[in-house]
Formats: sequence, C-alpha cells, structure tokens
Amino acid sequence: MPRQQGAGFALSQRQAAVILLVPFLTVYAVFLIYPFFKGVWISLHDWNLMAVAFNPDAKSYVGLRNYERVMWGHNITWGALASPGFQIIGLIGILASALLYRAGRAGKVTALAMGLAALLLFVLPGFHPGEGGRWYDRRFWPTVGNTILFVGLAVPGVTITAMLLAAALDGETRAKAVLRTLFFLSQVLSVTVVTLIWQIMFSPRQGLIANLTELFGGSPIVWLTAEGFAMAAIVIATIWWSLGIAMILFLAGIQDISKDLYEAGALDNATGAKAFWYITLPNLKRTITVVVVLQIILHFQVFGQSHLMTGGGPNDTTQVLVRYIYQTAFRDSELGRASAMAVFLFVIMGGFSILQFVLGREKDE
Amino acid sequence: MKHAIFGATALTLLATGAVAQEVTLGRFFGDCEGAGTDTKVSVGEACIIQSIINAADATLDGVSVNTLPTDWGNYYDQIKAAYAGGTPPAVHVMHRHRVPEFASIGALADLTDDLAAAGIDVSDWEATALEAVTYNDRIIGVPMDFHANLWHVNLDLMEAAGLVVDGAPVLPSSPEEMLEHARAVKAATGQDYLAADFAQFPIGVRVVLALLWQQGANIFDGDTATIDTPETRNAISAITQLFDAGLANPQLNYADSQQAFLNGEAAILVNGTWVVDFYSAEAAKDDQGLNRYFVADFPTLFDEGATWADSHIWAIPAPLKADAPETYAAALQVLAFINDHNIDWARTGHMAVRTSVLNSAEYAALPHRGEYAGTAEIARDTPPSVRYGAIQDVLNREFQAIWLTGKSVDAALSDAQADVQDLLDR
Repeated sequence: MPRQQGAGFALSQRQAAVILLVPFLTVYAVFLIYPFFKGVWISLHDWNLMAVAFNPDAKSYVGLRNYERVMWGHNITWGALASPGFQIIGLIGILASALLYRAGRAGKVTALAMGLAALLLFVLPGFHPGEGGRWYDRRFWPTVGNTILFVGLAVPGVTITAMLLAAALDGETRAKAVLRTLFFLSQVLSVTVVTLIWQIMFSPRQGLIANLTELFGGSPIVWLTAEGFAMAAIVIATIWWSLGIAMILFLAGIQDISKDLYEAGALDNATGAKAFWYITLPNLKRTITVVVVLQIILHFQVFGQSHLMTGGGPNDTTQVLVRYIYQTAFRDSELGRASAMAVFLFVIMGGFSILQFVLGREKDE
Repeated sequence: MKHAIFGATALTLLATGAVAQEVTLGRFFGDCEGAGTDTKVSVGEACIIQSIINAADATLDGVSVNTLPTDWGNYYDQIKAAYAGGTPPAVHVMHRHRVPEFASIGALADLTDDLAAAGIDVSDWEATALEAVTYNDRIIGVPMDFHANLWHVNLDLMEAAGLVVDGAPVLPSSPEEMLEHARAVKAATGQDYLAADFAQFPIGVRVVLALLWQQGANIFDGDTATIDTPETRNAISAITQLFDAGLANPQLNYADSQQAFLNGEAAILVNGTWVVDFYSAEAAKDDQGLNRYFVADFPTLFDEGATWADSHIWAIPAPLKADAPETYAAALQVLAFINDHNIDWARTGHMAVRTSVLNSAEYAALPHRGEYAGTAEIARDTPPSVRYGAIQDVLNREFQAIWLTGKSVDAALSDAQADVQDLLDR
C-alpha cells in the first residue's frame, strides 16, 4: 500500500496500529491483566479481606500453601477405580478419541485434545484419601464435581433445545417471527428476575408446576429442597434463561445452509426429520462446536441460580465453584484461599478456550 | 425565564448542600416503599425501621439520611466489601454475633466518650444490652433490641387436641411429651404439630442449639469443637422424631412454613420475635386460617430453659470518626434518634433494650407482650467467634443433610465436628 504523502509527518502502518491500540490495551491492562496477576499474587498470601484493608501489613506470603489447603489433603493416594463413574467415562473417552482418529473421523489435534481431556477425567478423580487420611478441604472437590455435573446437564440441554427450536422456527411466517422473539426474551432478564420467576414456579404451595401436578392427582415435588430435584431445578431454570443466544446462532447456521441441498434431498424423499438428520445436522457441525464451547465456558461460571434458588443446598448438592469462591472471599474473608480457587477455575476455562481455538483452527485448514 | 429556573435550582442545591450533612445508612430488614414518617402506624420490621429513619431525616436539623440499597441475604458480604473498599456507610446495623469479626480488626468506632454528648443515656440500657455492644471494655455500638426464637401458637388447633388450659397452650416439658402432643394434634385436626424453616434459613439450627443448651452443652468450647456428642444426638432426635412420624415437614422453607402456619396447617411455628406484630395483624383478618394467635416462650424440653437469641445493634465505622468528624457527629445524632424510638421498634415484637421503655405502660400494652415475658431470662447464643457465619453454615448444611437427604446422624455430626474444628484452627 503506498504511503500517503502528508504535509508534516506520516505514520507507518505499525505506528498507526500502535496508536490505535493504545486506548484498548490500556483499559485491557488496567481492568483485566493487572487484576488477574493481582489475583494470582493474592493466592500466594494469607490475606484477610477486612484486616488487610485496615492494615496493609496484615498479609503474609505462604507460597503454594493455599493451593495445598484447598486441593490436597493428608495421606492422599491414587486408585484406578476410586471414582468409577468419572474414570470409566474417561477411559471410554480415551478409547473413543483413538478410534475416531484411526477411522479418520477426527483430526489429529481434535483427537489429541479429546484424548487429553479424557485422560484428565481418568486420572484426577482417582485421587482419594487413604487410610486415616482426609482432604484438607473436604468440600472443594465435591463442589467441582457439582459444577461439572451442572455443566454436563445444562450444556446439552441448552444446545439440543435451542437447535430443535431453531429448526422449528426457521421461516418467514409472522407466527414464527413472534415465537422467535418470545423465546429470545428470557435471555434479556437478569439472574435475579429469572431465579425469582422459577422459585415461584417451583414453589410446592403456589407454583404452577405444583398446581399442575395436583391437577393430575400427584403430590407436589419440593423441588428446591429435595436432594434429587434441586440440581434439576437450577438446570431447568438455566436452560430457559440461556436458550436465546444459542437459538439465534443456530438460526444463523441454518439460514447459511444452501436451499439446493434440501431440494436435492426432497427428490430422494428426505424431508422433515430425515432432512434435519441428513442435511441440517451435518451442516451445523461448526455452529454446534461454537455453541457447546461457549456454553461450557459460560456455565462453569454459574453462581446466581445456585446462590438465590437453593443456597447451595440441600447438603451441598447444588454448591458450585463460583459460589464457594464468593463465600470464602466475602463470608470467611479468606481472600488468599478464594483466589487460589479462582485460579483453578481460570485454568479449567482456559483449557476450554484453547480447545475452542484448536477446533476452530483445524476446520480452517 | 430560563435564567430564573437555573438560578433557583442552583440556589436550592447550594442551600441544601451547605446545610444538610449526609449520613449514609446500611441496613437489612428488607425494603418498604412509602413507609412515611409516622413511627406509630407502620407494620413489620422493614416499614417500622424505615419510618424511624424517614422521621430522623425529616426531624434532625442539618442531617439528611440516605438509606443505601442492600440485600438481606448478602448484607454482611456487601458491608465487608464496602469496608475493604474504603467506602462503608456512615452508620450500619449489625448483629451482636458479628461484633468480634468487625471489632477485632478495629473496624468499628469507639463511641464510649461521645454517647452522652449525643444525648444517649447508657445507664438506661439493660446490662445485657450494654454487654452486646461492648468489646474490650469499650462501647462500639448502640443496641436496638433483643430478639429470640419463640413458639407462635394456633390456639384453635391446640384446643381441638385438648392442649389449651385457661386460655394458654399446654407446651411439652420433654421430647417424649412433645411427640404425644404432636400425635394428639394430628389425630384431632389432621394438621402438623410444628412448622419452621428447616430447609434453608438456619432456624432449624437455632432449634437444635436451644435444645443443646437446655442440656448444658454447646457446639464449641474455646478452640475445641464439641458437636459430635450424645447431647447433640438427643437434641436432633427430639426434632427428627416429629419428621419420622409425619407430624412436621422438614422441606418447608421460611415463606412456605410461615404460610402453612397462617393457613392453619400447623399448630406451632418456630420463628423469631420479629413477626409478632405481623402475625397479630394477619390473625385479625377474616380470610386467614389462623384466628386465635398466641405467643409462647420456647419450652424447656430438657434440664434448663434456653432459646436462641441475638441483638440488632448500630455501629459507625472507625475511619469515619478519624477522618470526617462532622459526618461522625451527624451519624451519632441518627443513632440517638433511633435510641429515642426504642418503643416504636419494639412494636415489631422485639424486646426493648432500654429499662425506661421496658417499664413503660406503652410497652406492656403491646400485643401479646405478656405471653413471652420469660424469653429474656432464657436468651442464649453460641460463644463469640470471628467465624460465626461460617460455623452457622456448617451446622445448617449438616443438620439439613440429616432431615432432607437422609444422611446418617453419625456421619453428619462427624463431618460437622471436623469442619467446625477446621474453622476454629484457621
């Protein structure tokens, strides 16, 4: 590109780029990079929220002790089938990624990423307290497990529901346009409103669900305080809340599919569900990947639904990682320990972000 | 014209800005729109406290009171974050049980030498009220009430079961007798004997603690957790026997248990002093299942009387006293105003802290007041601890696990013991 001849001085592309990037980089550094490294720094200290505010010298450097107190324990051993559920899924995952790679259904990097995730699922749950041992913080890993369970239920729930809705609501009619808007509306509500609505819906005394159950002769379920239903309740509320964006992404994906394919399919009798299965779904692969990874990153940060609807209960069955971090930092004032947990959450989400990057790049090649 | 409007606005702003000293105020108790400034007519904690604050704002010369938006459930998290960020409210309410956590790091202003000048007569406070706001022999707050767990009684259901004598309910004196009474109520009315929030808010914990204290035991002693004991098992089984026999429902939360009581679906509701005026007002309505409402002291099921109790107190942040003496003086005026309106706050059902109010005819005439006069004598709480909030949460989680998820009592008490010990060791 020819350089413009100005009257005074001319900027090179690099200089212009630097000048234009400076405002963004300043904001990014002040509000994201600095707090992140400060968080890591705090995680290496015994740091009381209130005490340090009144006396900056009240903190003390403890190295990795916070990480040890949160994630490790006394006399911890490893067993191949200590948590059979997770570990068997991990083993199946390792085998599946190897088979998919050999069959040519998955690229090298995809298979490697899947295999690594499956390996972690096999290795990490194998750690457990040996005889006479105990975790220093016996609630941390169950809380991580709850968070993974929540993500494991909410992500497929949102993805499948949003995809089916998008397929059903793709079209030009006025009714479909109205329904698209209606289904998107829940997305704009704040978590406090969503949880309030669903607390009323789930109430065993006045809720819509309880009334319907009674209408059909059943006894109402106490959703939010029953062990088997509390997690389901917050997952249902989350799916209702997060449908909108996923649905819009799927709609965009569906509208990108060439109509010729459907016409060709129709000649071979592939219409309705058959057309969805053989034409729509394969062409949405890339959108599905984006939606799934974005949802995973989003739902690992779940907080409001658990905090406001169930208070983490009953018996910690809906206690999730961000709520535990919040309680440790603000209820217990243990900022160092809370920061160590936050760094752990960052590593998990960073892993999924890398996975998204890898999968996205592989498709481009 | 335009100039006149701008001029008038600027003058008004200048006038109000120059005269009024703004006092920011943090409180829980919930929101009340349109509370007004009449402190004698509002009903319920939220509206009564807001009417007192509004009256202070309207009455005190040169002081404007600005109530900050806070959420009850996360109140202490918000206040602590505000302290950590250097922007705490000029005055804020707190519980007695939180004093060690705040005062141990010097967060609360020492009011000892300034109260008399502000018009607050410390000698009029009950001894236990003075104790509630004293830390290391210095006064760090102004007490507002004693509150405690009571037994709220539906006399119609109790009478149907033959459990009313001389207009007062017959309450049990042992766990076994409580089971008999509960069976009698179920047989006569088909309704539950007892309701409370055993599912979310820690009222279930407070019931178990009261029964523990009634046996002369406690949850920790110094730095040693003492939860996994026969006394705790006795206290828990006194409650779970009702759940197991279908005479009480552990799955109701605060709103649902209260609604069950107001609907006439439970003979007893265990809840605090803060709802006495509200239930009185509800019982007076024609469309409520609850008609004849009575308030009773928490009964003694074991050796000695005890019920869970606490105090609401008002405090001023230490940095305010050091850095902003004018705001500090205005904040003290607001506290003096609240102290002067102790009788109005007592209308909620809470017990007053000022001797002159406790001895007044107006106080004695408050609804149901005589029915729970014994509560002040049996009021108890756990030993002071900077980790009170976390300890309560451990107990709440483990006790709920017993009656909501079927966790064994042995496992729950062993876990609670380990977790509380871990908190005491930190």
